[in-house]
Amino acid sequence: MSWKEWFKERFPIDYQKFVEFNERIFIKEPIPVHMKKWFYCMGATPLILAGFQIITGILLMFYFVPSPEMAYESIRHITEDVRVGFWVRGLHRWGSNLMIIALLLHMTRVFFTRAYQKPRELNWIIGVMLFLVTMGLAFTGYSLTYNQLSYWATTVGTNLIREVPLIGKWVFLFLRGGEEVTANTLTRFYYIHVGFLPPLLIFLIALHIIILRLHGVSEPEGFPKGYYPFYPHHFYKIIIATLFLLTLMSTLTVILPPGIGVPADPTVTPAHIKPEWYFYPTYRFLKLVPLKVGIYATAAFMVAMTFWPFIEPMIAKKKETRIKTSFAVGALTLIITLALTIWETIAM
Amino acid sequence: MDTVKAQQWLIGIFSVLLIVSLLIVAGVEMKKTRTFKPEIEIDETTAKCINCHEKKGIAVKLIDEWKESRHAVMGIGCYECHQAAEEDFDAFRCPESEFIIGKHPTPKDCNQCHEDQVKEFNNSKHAAAQIMMALKGPDRNVFQPTISTKHGCEQCHNIGNYWPDGSIGECDACHSKHRFSLKQARHPETCGECHIGPDHPHIEIYLESKHGNLYVAHKDEWDWNYPPGEPVPFSAPTCATCHMSATRTNKKSTHNVSNRLTWESQAPFSVRTQEYWGGISWQEKRANMEGVCYQCHSQSFADRYLLVADLVNLQYNEIWKATIDWMNLLKKYNVIKTDRFMYEGDFITAWPKEGYDEEVEHIAYRNWHHEGRRFRHGAEMMGADYTQWHGIWELQENLVKIIEYGAEHGVPEAKRWMNSKDPNKFIMYALYDIPGSTWGPSALMYRGQMPMDRIPNYWEIVYKNVKAAYEKGLLTDKQWALYEEIYKNKDKEIGRIYPLPELHEELLKNLNYDLKKLYPEQKLTLTPFNIPFQKGSGY
Repeated sequence: MSWKEWFKERFPIDYQKFVEFNERIFIKEPIPVHMKKWFYCMGATPLILAGFQIITGILLMFYFVPSPEMAYESIRHITEDVRVGFWVRGLHRWGSNLMIIALLLHMTRVFFTRAYQKPRELNWIIGVMLFLVTMGLAFTGYSLTYNQLSYWATTVGTNLIREVPLIGKWVFLFLRGGEEVTANTLTRFYYIHVGFLPPLLIFLIALHIIILRLHGVSEPEGFPKGYYPFYPHHFYKIIIATLFLLTLMSTLTVILPPGIGVPADPTVTPAHIKPEWYFYPTYRFLKLVPLKVGIYATAAFMVAMTFWPFIEPMIAKKKETRIKTSFAVGALTLIITLALTIWETIAM
Repeated sequence: MDTVKAQQWLIGIFSVLLIVSLLIVAGVEMKKTRTFKPEIEIDETTAKCINCHEKKGIAVKLIDEWKESRHAVMGIGCYECHQAAEEDFDAFRCPESEFIIGKHPTPKDCNQCHEDQVKEFNNSKHAAAQIMMALKGPDRNVFQPTISTKHGCEQCHNIGNYWPDGSIGECDACHSKHRFSLKQARHPETCGECHIGPDHPHIEIYLESKHGNLYVAHKDEWDWNYPPGEPVPFSAPTCATCHMSATRTNKKSTHNVSNRLTWESQAPFSVRTQEYWGGISWQEKRANMEGVCYQCHSQSFADRYLLVADLVNLQYNEIWKATIDWMNLLKKYNVIKTDRFMYEGDFITAWPKEGYDEEVEHIAYRNWHHEGRRFRHGAEMMGADYTQWHGIWELQENLVKIIEYGAEHGVPEAKRWMNSKDPNKFIMYALYDIPGSTWGPSALMYRGQMPMDRIPNYWEIVYKNVKAAYEKGLLTDKQWALYEEIYKNKDKEIGRIYPLPELHEELLKNLNYDLKKLYPEQKLTLTPFNIPFQKGSGY
């Protein structure tokens, strides 16, 4: 008896049907020809990176201790003592940065190809939620290193949350577990980072992909009609992307390895407090305008971004105008985002 | 351009822009995680000072030092400490700007931010360092030319400077300007700048102690920049650890270095302190110090160690009394002219008012100011050699020299003493003692010809003396209980009831062989020169 038969006896599914299902859903999934272009097939990169984050995250959990006394020391231990610890930590840290960049690239592509149009509005909204969950993961993960930079970034970050209308104060107290950033904050952030957000992320990714598959990949204008099966061409493209990302993250880890900084000292406020770079646009913007204005404007921007698929059709009746407005809004948003990020990076 | 082309261009351009710029941003930020040097942000005023000073090359190194300081990181620049009002004693108008500069920031300036530390300092003996200098002591004012003391006594006693602005102290005596480094202030060598030399060899005592030994071996592994106020993360104490740093029981660190000192043991008489340095009882100070000791030592060891150190201080007082008694006797017989070696009345210092024109006056002065302190401080800080050879041995020698001087000059009591062959004649003062050793019972240690064997009722009288000290309030209830317990187990403590180990005979035999048999064999007969006074020469 072959092992296949042995297994089939114990797991009596209709093997033939399973093979057919697999062929239909995965192997022969029709991929539109425009996805042969690299700029158009970046949607899988955040998924690949999420996979890396989960694997490296689990490895880091073997050593990380979420207490104010031990957090910094355990990260030092991972970085300096544990075999290939620096690499795993580097992959995780750079993975988080790249995941945010990958999401921005994906969103840029979706926005300019206007793939959010009816009937795919919901998937855009889920996408925005995925972006926010990833930001949440990055924010909570950064704070776990418990060095001066991350401690004060956490302080600033949670202070920003406090200013959010209505729920801000409540969320602020909930996240910090009190008025100050303490052991409570660290354990809460740790749980949110490893226990709450990852399952949410996986759930939303699943939903995102299911909806995508139900509708099929949207096809932008300007490309010849046609499809090719997922396997082998697209499958190998994803493998190449995976290997490329692994190489890129490893290279970055070697060239620019994440440091451990100096241990967090709640009694010493550094001269320059900054959040992580992906919050720079908001942070710089809030510095430029009165705080209340900044908070409401940011909230309005978030609402507009989330519901853009519904807002865009309301702009004008003429398709041409809508497209042009949409391009202008997208380009302006990206330019402002980049400008604010770079400004905050160079600013003292 | 049609919208399809525009769309492709937009995606292409923004993808490249996003990848390139955000990777650079992420890289820049990642690099910062490895930068341990904090950035310094300076205001306009400080920038003005620094630019001009650097251009003119004035005190540039001090600016470099400041750049390394926490002050720099916290945005405390030049003017924050050096600003002054026109009427200030150290004010001068900067010739290159409109600023009025205080040349010498005092604790009044430090107090703007470090209020607690200044208050604690003011309660400490450091704040009284110049009081000693202003007394009418002849060691500085009569015996030496003043110029010699400026870079001598004055340099160290400056730590308690009385400034014209009413503040007391010199913070940078320990926290060297302009870096004000914790690391530097925490090193024993900083204290050793002043706490050194024959009169208070504290750094020497520390370095010969087990504590100092561990410091030398492990200091490179220690985190000297641990956050202030936290319990010390070192594996052995430094000066600051015992006298200043936070412990598990002393939650707060203190700049009152006297906060844990129960004895004033620099003065001619050791005194249990109360109002003196801090206004808390000596028992509270002792509890503070015990909090330090118990972090590393068992209570039984630490309590016994401190009890013996206290008995050494009390013993010293008796020796000092004996010194004064002999000096008074010499004075009575007109052998010396001194009129000030007192032990009643003015206790702060003891010296001959008219200076040191007789050898014995030097000796008596050194008996408290040099040898007496070494004896006491050695016993308090595990400096065995300073308790022993640089302490009690020299104290005894000094006493003998004083008596010898008396005998030579016809003082009958001194002559009688010199002529006596009684081995107990060196114990010319009341005794304290405790059965056994701090370092563990020994079957051999107390088998020699001990005073307890020669002097009748030795232990009964010693017990009475310790009890008298306890009843006078100079030992705590806990200490007395410990003493009684040790006293009760006298025989075990002294250890004579235990048999000597078998190895003893062999060790003794080897020692005897080397010293008795080998020495005569190894003795040489050499050829002398034929010159005067050389033994064996025919000159």
